[in-house]
Amino acid sequence: MERRYRTFFLYVEETPLLDMHPAVKLLALLTINLVAWLLEAPIPLLILLALLISSYVLLRVPLSRIRRFLLYALLVSQAVVVSYALGSRIPGHVVYAVLPWGAYISDMTLLYMATMIMRFASMLVGSTLLLSAMRDVDVIYGLLSFKVPYTAAFAFNLAFRFSSLFLDDYKMIRDAMILRGAKLDEGGILQRARNYSRMGIPLTVIALRRMNELSYVLEIKGLGFKGRRTHLHEFRWSARDICAVLLLLGSLAAVAALRLATDLLSFPGWPLA
Amino acid sequence: MVSVRQAAITGVTAGLCLPLALFAIILVPIPGLPAASGFWIPAGFYFAMTLWFGVWGALGGHIATVLAMGYFSGYTLQIWLDGGLGDLIAPLVAYAIFKAAGARPDLKRRRDWVTWLIAVPVASLVCGLWVHTVNLMFGVITWPFWWVGVVTYLVGDSLAIFTVGTPLLKALTDFVKQSPMYVWRE
Repeated sequence: MERRYRTFFLYVEETPLLDMHPAVKLLALLTINLVAWLLEAPIPLLILLALLISSYVLLRVPLSRIRRFLLYALLVSQAVVVSYALGSRIPGHVVYAVLPWGAYISDMTLLYMATMIMRFASMLVGSTLLLSAMRDVDVIYGLLSFKVPYTAAFAFNLAFRFSSLFLDDYKMIRDAMILRGAKLDEGGILQRARNYSRMGIPLTVIALRRMNELSYVLEIKGLGFKGRRTHLHEFRWSARDICAVLLLLGSLAAVAALRLATDLLSFPGWPLA
Repeated sequence: MVSVRQAAITGVTAGLCLPLALFAIILVPIPGLPAASGFWIPAGFYFAMTLWFGVWGALGGHIATVLAMGYFSGYTLQIWLDGGLGDLIAPLVAYAIFKAAGARPDLKRRRDWVTWLIAVPVASLVCGLWVHTVNLMFGVITWPFWWVGVVTYLVGDSLAIFTVGTPLLKALTDFVKQSPMYVWRE
């Protein structure tokens, strides 16, 4: 696989996922999230989570990738626990506490909390796995594979490129303001945010000029011309990509059908119901 | 068909808002929610860009929000539907209110000011309703906590948009009018 520039995403070079077709990566990202969302039964969700975690080993993606999101996962789990402990009425076999405003905590409340945490964790673990093999060219070419117009996919690409340019502009404007006596770090958090937001006008002027110049440059380069265009990178569909697409779509269809037609994947679901 | 100009609006707006979103999350974090900020600085920018350039400005804000929030909280469907799509809806609601009221983003007439003062809280409210309904659908919160989230969202978002967006519209709309991409032609 040819080496490409790293811009926004920090991908893992060792994983075989990197060689997958960009469309498959985007489809997998969507499918894993949709499957996790459709599942409401704790045991199937636990199986999904275990499968996703073991995929890290199989696909040679370091599990440390999830580490940066651990605090976030903990905080969302805390939000789920507080929210369901204080504001839900889920009937169960045992009621542990009844609150004055009518909410109560049963054994099923605890199980439902765990289910919601597993749903969130599955999405996070699955998305992080795929993001470990995602480059910004994958996003652009993946969008093109889904028949998104080239100009729209190109606009997405511009976001990656321009964000680093604007970071430089931001530093330049901040330094200029400080040299002229602006006290950006005075006051509380909100006051400081307001101080910094005063950089908005020069930043926006730069953005507007850049927008005009860019539109002229793109027109001169013939970006808006109709007709079949060629691309710098060519991504070919391999038999492995096609198998992956069939597997992903098949799993999504099966989960959706089971969820709609049976109680197997609804709470408490298989094998607890 | 997307034109070159529209791509430039979306790309540059997203490029501008992306570091600001990361900056807002770092500068004014909300304890308990790492991908959220108590002062959502980019909102002021993409509201102004939407009022000047229409849907394409809003789309730029949407891309920036998805990328910035995902950077801290993972690129999940919930994050995209929640913050990302919510931040696309909000400026479009304000834009629709301006269109319906016959107001202009230069905020020179009383009608423009009144529309701005109404459009921002209404847009923030719609966005807050969307965001917390998505959270509810994904099972992260329950109904009793839904309205608390909506009210805090309304206040925090409106404050940021008024503080950042008002000077931008006042100071720069006349400058923007020279651009062929400005959508409010007489």
